[in-house]
Amino acid sequence: MLELYIGIYLLGVLISSVSQVLLKKAALKTYDSPIKEYLNPLVITAYAFFFGATLMTILAYKVVPLSMGAILEATAYLYITFFGVTIFKEKIGKKKACALALIIAGIVIYALGTPQ
Amino acid sequence: MGAPKAPNKRAVTLIALHLLLLVYSLSGIFSKNAAHEPFMSLPFILLYGGMLVILFIYAIGWQQILKRLSLSAAFANKAVTVVWGMVWGFFIFGEAISALNLLGAALVIGGVVLYAQADAEEQRPGDPVDGDAWIAPGDAPRKEA
Repeated sequence: MLELYIGIYLLGVLISSVSQVLLKKAALKTYDSPIKEYLNPLVITAYAFFFGATLMTILAYKVVPLSMGAILEATAYLYITFFGVTIFKEKIGKKKACALALIIAGIVIYALGTPQ
Repeated sequence: MGAPKAPNKRAVTLIALHLLLLVYSLSGIFSKNAAHEPFMSLPFILLYGGMLVILFIYAIGWQQILKRLSLSAAFANKAVTVVWGMVWGFFIFGEAISALNLLGAALVIGGVVLYAQADAEEQRPGDPVDGDAWIAPGDAPRKEA
């Protein structure tokens, strides 16, 4: 039961990260007018994803403890790094890889320490 | 007692950042309460709306902080939200916190701080580092005609 709702939370964080990438992509473009800067398919989709993600978080909180929420939120660093490498062609250094390993280890240990 | 003549701007910014992160952490309390209300009932809508208002305030405040502090320093400090989540969970919702939870949380916080340091060393300012750093479309670099 808890695993399922943790999964919903993690999916929400992923969707929120995707919306962040869409906004980043939108921010890199130039627009003819300030209105188009906000009202364009990329930005509208990004905000739709963002709202979807907030609703998924609330659904997950039916079971997931609030104290675990911010821990699960840290998976955003994994997603954003992944998108940075694959979409924005960024390099990932050893230190950052260690940091991500620490975050994953912390989340797993935290989850193991949470009673069902 | 010699008080400093000018206020330490960095200290003021850090205090403002932590007040902002404290406010941000309250959004979880709204979400958690909303989770126990029927979907789209009046209490649900009020709690969900409250959460969105907090996220909106946070997004504006975060942009202001980033004018005065590096992105990586801001993100390193953001790790404190893990602590706030546990504090609110424990005191408001009576959640149990185990020793393994504390250990896991410490590792996550360490990981986030290390990530921010690594990011600073890689010198790529302006990247989206996590899902909450709301880059408003209006912040787009605009070419002058």
